Formats: sequence, structure tokens, C-alpha cells
Amino acid sequence: MKLGRGSFGAIGAIGLPAVLLSALAAAPAAAATPDTRGWLGEELPLPLAVRTPQDLAVKAAAEKQYLIFNLLAGGKLAWDAGDFATAATKWEALLRVHQLDPELERTIRPLARDARGRAGGQPAAAASAGEPAAGALASGTAPGPVVPAAAAALPTPIVVVSGTISGGGAQGPGGAVVWLKRTSGETPRPAPAHGKVITQRNKAFVPRVLVVPVGSKVVFRNEDTIFHNIFSLTKPNEFDTGLYKQGASYTQTFKHPGVVQLLCNIHASMLGFVYVVDSPYYAQADGAGAFTIKGVPPGEYEVEAWHENASQPTVQHLTVGAGGARGVSLRIGGDKRPPQFLPDKSGKPRQSHLGY
Amino acid sequence: MAVGLALGLLVWSARGLAQVPSVPAPEPDAEGEPVNDSDGYTPPADGQGAPPPFSINGYIDVGFAKAQGNGTSFAPGDQSVPADYGVDTFAPAVNARGDVASTDSGGRFVNGFLPRQVGIGGRPSFLLNTLDVDLKYAPSSAPLMVFSRVQFLPRFTGSGDDTRVYVEQAFGRLVPFDSQELALSAGKFDSVFGIEYLDNQANIRTGVTPSLVARYTTGQSVGAKLFYRIQIAPLWSAVSLNVAGTNSGNFVEALQPPDASLSGEPVGSGRLGYELNAPVVQVKLGASGMTGPRNDQGDQSARQKAFGLDARVAAFGVYLNAEYVHVNEGQGGPKTTSIGNFPFSSAFSVRGGYVQLAYALPVAVGPLHKVTVYGRYDRRHAWFDGFTPITVDRMTAGLRVDLWELLILKAEYLDNRELSGAPTVANNVFTSSLVYSW
Repeated sequence: MKLGRGSFGAIGAIGLPAVLLSALAAAPAAAATPDTRGWLGEELPLPLAVRTPQDLAVKAAAEKQYLIFNLLAGGKLAWDAGDFATAATKWEALLRVHQLDPELERTIRPLARDARGRAGGQPAAAASAGEPAAGALASGTAPGPVVPAAAAALPTPIVVVSGTISGGGAQGPGGAVVWLKRTSGETPRPAPAHGKVITQRNKAFVPRVLVVPVGSKVVFRNEDTIFHNIFSLTKPNEFDTGLYKQGASYTQTFKHPGVVQLLCNIHASMLGFVYVVDSPYYAQADGAGAFTIKGVPPGEYEVEAWHENASQPTVQHLTVGAGGARGVSLRIGGDKRPPQFLPDKSGKPRQSHLGY
Repeated sequence: MAVGLALGLLVWSARGLAQVPSVPAPEPDAEGEPVNDSDGYTPPADGQGAPPPFSINGYIDVGFAKAQGNGTSFAPGDQSVPADYGVDTFAPAVNARGDVASTDSGGRFVNGFLPRQVGIGGRPSFLLNTLDVDLKYAPSSAPLMVFSRVQFLPRFTGSGDDTRVYVEQAFGRLVPFDSQELALSAGKFDSVFGIEYLDNQANIRTGVTPSLVARYTTGQSVGAKLFYRIQIAPLWSAVSLNVAGTNSGNFVEALQPPDASLSGEPVGSGRLGYELNAPVVQVKLGASGMTGPRNDQGDQSARQKAFGLDARVAAFGVYLNAEYVHVNEGQGGPKTTSIGNFPFSSAFSVRGGYVQLAYALPVAVGPLHKVTVYGRYDRRHAWFDGFTPITVDRMTAGLRVDLWELLILKAEYLDNRELSGAPTVANNVFTSSLVYSW
């Protein structure tokens, strides 16, 4: 059959996009269940008849798009399976495709770099068996069958990031909050913490600083024999417990990330903090400044450290390799003095030496 | 076209992919808790990392002011006040301490009833109002606090008052019971009368200048005081009592010798307060009283009395403060001032008050922290036995800008009016203040 203009449209406009869509739509499932089933790649070579020079041109164009698809989706499947070396190899091959669409190139290049970094920075030994080199395809050679990535599927490596924070002024770095944000992709949504408690004891918040993931509930419990009130004017996490007596408690859910200042409307010297992080990768420094963050996949991150005595958080880039990142050194400022006046509920400053 | 469409799909899918290379969140541990967890951090009570028991804070207050006329409210030839007072009806304030532009009486005497001056007359001038240093010692091992507030007051007037270092407050406070909101203080401390003493410092006052009645309520004296408060939780309310016995009354330092009891009898003062601390609105009401010997008399039979009412309402960034004060000083015996001896002390009475409305708009744009607009209306009616009563009022409008959390810029205009009993004098004031706190 001579491939006419209408036939081309039928293949191109319906067949290929449909295949691409169905295959890409299946990609998340492939991530959840690594690649144990067949996929489009096994049907190669494409059964496109070539009888005329036009047919050949069509076939070459289709195969180029097919190669792009294979490398793009194959890299994704490998990534999801934790096989960063294969992902890097496929995406690097994709980037070598002649006259690759610039927008696609801009999208893939950082991902390929990230995958290569996670793979330890060494190029993969070889492309998957049967997969043609990009250069070969560019010259018109038909691609071979693509081997499913199942064989290379590995669990996502989980590593530890640890280090020490210095600074924090005269009181030192104790209590500093450290958390990671992925720069090479989305930071996973953290699971809320449970059973977090801040007590009011001897007219102080204990603990003074608590870090929780977003969505966590914190129980405020009065262990003093006098009434307390807890409120925060920090938007959008503001709240007010009202008055509550010894033994009573109040639960507050922190839905928004950021630092939340805790105050008592009765006692003008009480000050505490809840730091709400939108990341599962966080820790709080001990008195010596040491911290450990567990369960971190290798990759590129922005590490941020907050301390109540620092006017600005410390932010720096961090590459987490397959072996984790140890000995991370962060320095926080100690330039922020404790507030001279803490406000009451209405926001009006109070002099703590007056009254009670 | 089809190739383009397919490529478009690829690009579209790749865009999605750019956000997709996600990794799973760390698996919860066996108890279902996130793998990263914290029970928080509390600094140790003592040793390394503990908060220091000493703290040093303070502020510096500089300004620019211009008063009309010669910077006073003295009218030439005015005989509306008795000789032993020689009072300026307004004493137009230019700073947070209530210092006036001038006490130049044009050859007449003044005898110390006036606030202190900065000596700028009617000349537009920059001012170095106050350098304040607050020291606080609060050990973690005892329910004790020691506080002192020392102020350096540069006054390059060329005449009259001099530059000085002033110990405005110095006291110890003990909270003896864990289960009660009870505090005992001894030393030199703020008045317990009314509410204006709460905002008496430049770094905490909404505007620049004090009210017309601040001179009767915001002084510091030496003595002892007791504060007690009881919470009424179901009503989000509290009732408090603040009482003091001191060497002298509540008048500002320029009007009394605060460090010595001239008569040997203490002056008693107190305030009974009610507060509603609901989530969206705060209401605080109070009634104050004071009784004792006159500040300027050694004779205990010459009495001073005062009572007052105050109210504060805060909601949605709007602050309403109002206070009413009535003061009466009975006639006393001979009186000696810096300018001479007088056979008797005139009886004096005053009633007055103010209403202040402020709106604070939180702004988080660069260093801009908060912008507050405010206005205040003051009115005072005063009379000496045998003299024509004097009624004056004042309208104040101002703007305050808070930068970062340390710097405050304030500017206000005071429109002073003599309503009756005193000649009209050009005595309006523009004043401004820049306060840096540390």
C-alpha cells in the first residue's frame, strides 16, 4: 500500500500520539511496579512499509520520534526504579539526538545531570542491549528492540545527611532547625508527626523550640499551678488557646510552613517557637550543634538552617551522593538579639519588668 | 503536522517529567512516626548554652522639633496663675519625656512646676532626647528580678537645666508563690496609677509626646508595691490589683522630689483593673486612686488626692486608649522653691483626660514592619483657689513607621488651644522622633 497523505495523518495524528500517551500514562504505574511487563519497545521494529522515497522519509521521521520517546520514557522508568546510571545513559543519549527540540533539551539536560550525579558521576557501561546509539538513528538506521528496565531496577538508595552547626551567638547553635529541599525535583510531602507536646513549666515553654512537619498536631499542656494562655500572631499560623489551668491541654494543628512564635498573654517574658517544615528531611541540632537527617535519597538539595538568634536563615547547596553526606558544616548567625518587648494578643508591646 | 503534534506531546510529557523525578518520602518507622523526628530543644538552665541571667537593652531617641512662638505658653502680662506656681498652661512638649521647647518666661519667674526644657525656644532644632540603658538580672535559680533604667539626658541649653544622668528606675521584684500571680517590688519604680506609664518610654509609646495629664500620673517614686491578679478562665478575663506606698505621689519628676519623703508619711496609690482577653478583642478597664501628703510639703496636713478611670480596647489593629484624671492638692504651708520663699502653697485642682485612637497596619515590605496612624484629643481644666479656671485642649495627629524590629520613625503635630481663662498663645508644635532600640 502506498502511504498517502491521509494514511500518514492517520498514523501520525492518531497512532503515535495515542501510543505515546498510553505509554506515558503507564509510566507512574511502572514506577510503582517496576518494569516486569512488556511495553511498546518490544514491538520493534516499527512495521512501516517502505516502497517509495516518501515512505522512507516518513519511516525515518517516525523512528526518530520513536527513539526520542524510548530514551525519554526509558530514562524515566529507570529513574523511578532507582537505576540512575541507566536513566543517565538514556537521557544522555537523548541529548545527542540530532536536532533535538530545544525545549525538550532544556528539560532533560538537568535531569540527566542529576541522574549522573546520583549514579556516582560515572558514565553507564553501555546503553541497553539492542538500543541503537543516538547517532546511528540520526543517520537513518532503524532502532533495535528496547530491553525493559526491570533487570536494572534497584530500590531507591536511602542515605544519611549529618553535620554540625556553629554560630548562634552566646547561647550557641542548640535547637537550630535544619531541613532539606530538593532542587532536582519535587520534595516529597512529609508525613505529619504525632504526639508532639510543648509544656508550660515554670513560666517557660518546654521545649523552647520544636520542629514538626507541616500538618502536625502539637499538644500544649499546662504543668504550672497558674493559668496560662498561648497565642501566636504569626500569620498564617496564628492561634489562641484561651486560658487553661494546670493539667489542661490544647491541641493545635500547624498547617503552614515557617517559624511560629509562641507567646503567653499573661506572662510577658514567655517565648517559644514551633518551626514547621514542608519536607520529610529535617532535624534539630543538639546543644553542640550536631544534627542527623535520615532517609535522604541522593540528589541535589538546598539545605536551610534556622535559629532564633539569627536574623537570616543560612541557605546553601548540598549534593547528596550515594554514600550520603557527612560532615556537613553550616554556620548560622548570632546577630539577632532577643526581642526587647514581646507583644500581647493585640500586638501591643509589653515591658516584662512591669506587673507580674 | 503529526510529527509536530507528537513532538509537542513529548515536550508536554517531559514538562511533567521535570516535576516528576520525585522520590518517595522516608518510610515511617515501625511505630508509624516519620523517620526524622524531634522532641524539641530547651536550653540548659545553667552552663554553656544557657540564657544569660543578665540582659542589657535600651534605646536612643533623637528628634527634630519646631515650636511656635518662643517655645512656651507664657503670655506677656498673664496673671492667671498664683505666684508660687507660675505655671505655663501648656508647657508644649517636644519629646517622649514631656520636655518642653523652652521655659523662658520673658523675665517672669518660674518655680519648678514646669517640666524640664530642651532650650530650643522657637528655633527648629535637632534633639538628642534620651540615651536609655536598661539592665535586668533574672537568675534561673530564684523567682527574682532586679531591674534598673538609667537615662543620659543631654541638654545643651546654655541656661537652666543641664545634661545629667538620671536613674529613672531601680528595683527588685520577687514572685514568692508559684501558684499565685503575686509580685512584690521595692525600689524606685513606675507609677501604678492609670495606664500611661505603661507607654512612657520613647521606644514603646505610640506617638512622640505624652498626654496633657501625663505629668500627674507617670512619675516614678521610691517605695514598695504589690501586684496581684486572678484569672477568670471561663470568661477569658482577669481582675488585678496594683498598690504602692511611696515617698511621693505620681507626679513627674519635675514636680516632686521622688527620692525623699518630705512629710515622713507615704503616699498610697493603686489601681483596680479588669481585662477581657478574648481572641479577637481585648478590653482593659481600670480605676485608680492616690492619697497622701503633698509632694512639696513637709506638713502632713497638706494633702493631695487623685482618682482616675482608664479604658483600652484593641481589635483588628485598632487601639483605643482613654483616661480621665482628677487631681486635687489642698492648700499648704510655706513653700520654698529655687526662686524663693512663699508664705503658703496654693490649692490646686485639675481634671482632664485624653482619648487616643491608633490604627496599626502590619506591612512586610523590605525593612518596613508596621505603619501606624494615630490621633489624640486632650482636654484639661485646672484651677487655683481664687483664680480663674483655665481650660485648654490639644489635638495631636501623627504617623509612626516601624522599620525592622529596631527602628521607629515618628512625626506628629500638636495643635494647642486655650479655650478659657488664659490668653491665646502661639504654641503649636511639630515634633518628630527616631528611636533605635537594642
